[in-house]
Amino acid sequence: MTHPKPVAPDRLSDHLIPISLVGGRYLVFDIDVITYLRAQHHICGVLTGSIPHLPQQNVFLGIPIELMPEEVRLLVEKGVAFIVDDVAWHRKGLKELRDEDKNAFLQTLETRGWDAAKVAEQWAKERSENALKKQGMKIPTSAETSSPAATQEEVGSANKSDNADESLFFNSSPPQPPSPRGPFHRRAPTTPSSPHIITPTTSYPPLPSPQPTSLLPPVPPSYPLYAHLHSKNYFLSPGLRFGCQYLAYPGDPLRFHSHFLAVGFGWDEEFSLLDLVAGGRLGTGVKKGFLIGGLEPENEREVREGDGVKTFCIEWGGM
Amino acid sequence: MASSLDVNPEALPSPPGTIRPVTTPRPSLNEIYGLPIPLTIHPVPTFFPTNPLWLLQFAYNCVYQIFFSSSHPNPHLKGYFSLETRSVHITEESTTKILWQQGFFGKGSLSRSEPTWLNREMRKRGLLAKVTSEEITRKRREERKEFKKERAKKEREAIERRLKEEGKLPTNDAIKAQKDAKVLENGHANGIAVINENGGPETTLEDPLASADASVEGTRKRLGTDINGGLQSTQLGKRDAGAPNMAVRFSADFDLNQPSETEPAPPTLPHRSEVIENKEHLQLMLEEAFFLVYGLGVLDVVDPETHTTIPTPSLLRLFRHCSYFPPISTRILQPDDPFMLSYVVYHHFRSLGWVVRSGIKFGVDFLLYNRGPVFSHAEFAVVILPSYGHPHYSSSEVHKKETEAKEKRSWWWLHCVNRVQSQVKKSLLIVYVEVPPPPSYGDNESMKDQGTNDINALFKTYKVREVSLKRWIPNRTRD
Repeated sequence: MTHPKPVAPDRLSDHLIPISLVGGRYLVFDIDVITYLRAQHHICGVLTGSIPHLPQQNVFLGIPIELMPEEVRLLVEKGVAFIVDDVAWHRKGLKELRDEDKNAFLQTLETRGWDAAKVAEQWAKERSENALKKQGMKIPTSAETSSPAATQEEVGSANKSDNADESLFFNSSPPQPPSPRGPFHRRAPTTPSSPHIITPTTSYPPLPSPQPTSLLPPVPPSYPLYAHLHSKNYFLSPGLRFGCQYLAYPGDPLRFHSHFLAVGFGWDEEFSLLDLVAGGRLGTGVKKGFLIGGLEPENEREVREGDGVKTFCIEWGGM
Repeated sequence: MASSLDVNPEALPSPPGTIRPVTTPRPSLNEIYGLPIPLTIHPVPTFFPTNPLWLLQFAYNCVYQIFFSSSHPNPHLKGYFSLETRSVHITEESTTKILWQQGFFGKGSLSRSEPTWLNREMRKRGLLAKVTSEEITRKRREERKEFKKERAKKEREAIERRLKEEGKLPTNDAIKAQKDAKVLENGHANGIAVINENGGPETTLEDPLASADASVEGTRKRLGTDINGGLQSTQLGKRDAGAPNMAVRFSADFDLNQPSETEPAPPTLPHRSEVIENKEHLQLMLEEAFFLVYGLGVLDVVDPETHTTIPTPSLLRLFRHCSYFPPISTRILQPDDPFMLSYVVYHHFRSLGWVVRSGIKFGVDFLLYNRGPVFSHAEFAVVILPSYGHPHYSSSEVHKKETEAKEKRSWWWLHCVNRVQSQVKKSLLIVYVEVPPPPSYGDNESMKDQGTNDINALFKTYKVREVSLKRWIPNRTRD
């Protein structure tokens, strides 16, 4: 099913991209936005969507993508995106929704439902015809007993017709039991008796598109390193599987292996030398460089240009 | 070292006249490293109730042990405390030997672990044919490097053969030879694409051979500075396929493969009269030294300035001060001093019979060997983490914040350490040391003074918990 996109893909660069904040995670649901962010801003995120009825299939995931706070911060600071507190905005939008807007939306839902029902009916008819043709029987007229599949379809659509004017968020009346109708009261197969129910999968519309906010996400102290590497055209992804904070790819991660295992430290932060040994060993073991970096304080900087991040790459010598 | 006289019959051949005559066969490892700790034990003779002479033997044994023999070395072994390196130095060769062979304590200051500097030096000068472990490792690494190079070469040759079979191998004109270099750098998939552009099968065989040679020569010169020897050899092999009458093959390869600086230096003329002074000493970690002093009672740690033995309680205080950097003597000792934590863990595993050595090369605190490093690889890698379970540490916000900073580790840190251990096939052991409250807490008499002379009571307040970790990859561990 196609829904109107909140932002048209060709005009993405003119618009601020909304990033949904749901349960403390930054999510992007729109595939066009995801593609745009990856191609234009070198931000890939992590695919997190699973299949609802197959949650154990967790190797190949789909949309939405989840973004690291650092990625969101970078996008917000660059003026590319803004954060939407999805829950709050949703509640607010629902409260302020006018009656005529609501009705218009319901109307479109119903129209789409009718279209879908027609398609389904057509499909069912073709299927039964094909099945009969295979068995060498002639096509029954509408007065004759319909096939079991068609009956089921009929009952199903009758059931749906009663609930048609409900939607997910306007629970006006409890669902009524389907009226007992026999298969003989069936109409012509091309004209469905009732529309299918359409479950809306987007909030905007019907709700108005969220307004840009100036919310800045909190980031870990390693953010300067992230921004620094990103400014050097590296693609960065979370590096948990390699025991680091960021994996730095020289290009799109689909094309390249990563070059660095990056870990950010505060300038005066104390860390154990053992961590350096372990990181260096691990990096060299997987043919990458172990890279640490931090933001030099303003007053200690020798050259006052650039972003002031110093990075060091460590390799295990194995003397 | 006395063991330097041992000659390994399987040693690398040296020029005749340099090897000393074989006197005795080399003792087995079990003989050399028979004692697990530097203590001699005298078992009671087997009890024969029917033999009245047994009683006499027993009595003789008891008397002999009481008056003439002791389980402890007499006099005690001697080590010098070094503040600069924060270790205890053993300079006497006999002591070094005892500590290394009986429990694998310490590390040679000029060696990887066993103090073998003298052997290596003598070997270098052609006085000894014994192979040191460092040389074995180096040889193994060389071999592995060669093997990898060889494998990469074979893979590339297979690709080339395949391409040839499919008729996609480029002809030997100048442009293509250059492109080949690019192809090889970019990998297989790219290579096909590039070659296809050129039309595939060899159609221009009338190319002058001379120009081909010149072009390849140029390519080789260009690649001469490249470290990747495999690339070169393939390049030459390719040229070989195109132009079979090659005069010099793989010459550049030989040059490249000659690791002149890594080979042991050729034995020079023997100087039999030469006596090499052993410039190496054994370094004991503070934990090892304290275990030898307090746990076993076989070592005296001497202050190098006053040349007096440091008594055990002040030795503990000294080591605890030294475990901070920089060591501040005015600092009040805390129950979670790094030395206390690490010594508790060291003592714990030594008591269980493990050989405990430093694990800095794998990014962990300790490594646990079953019998010792000469017998097998380390089985466990130990990471020490303090744990503040006592109610004192959760009594106020200040304490909570302090302890949280010490306890807290990030996920990426754990994954990093764990992955390193799985690379070297060791199990990661996280050891939590339950830290007792500071002496100011409550009316715990034994804790009143952290610098107390009652070391036993102090150590009794610590508890150790072990958690074993393993890397688990769902994709590879699926049923």
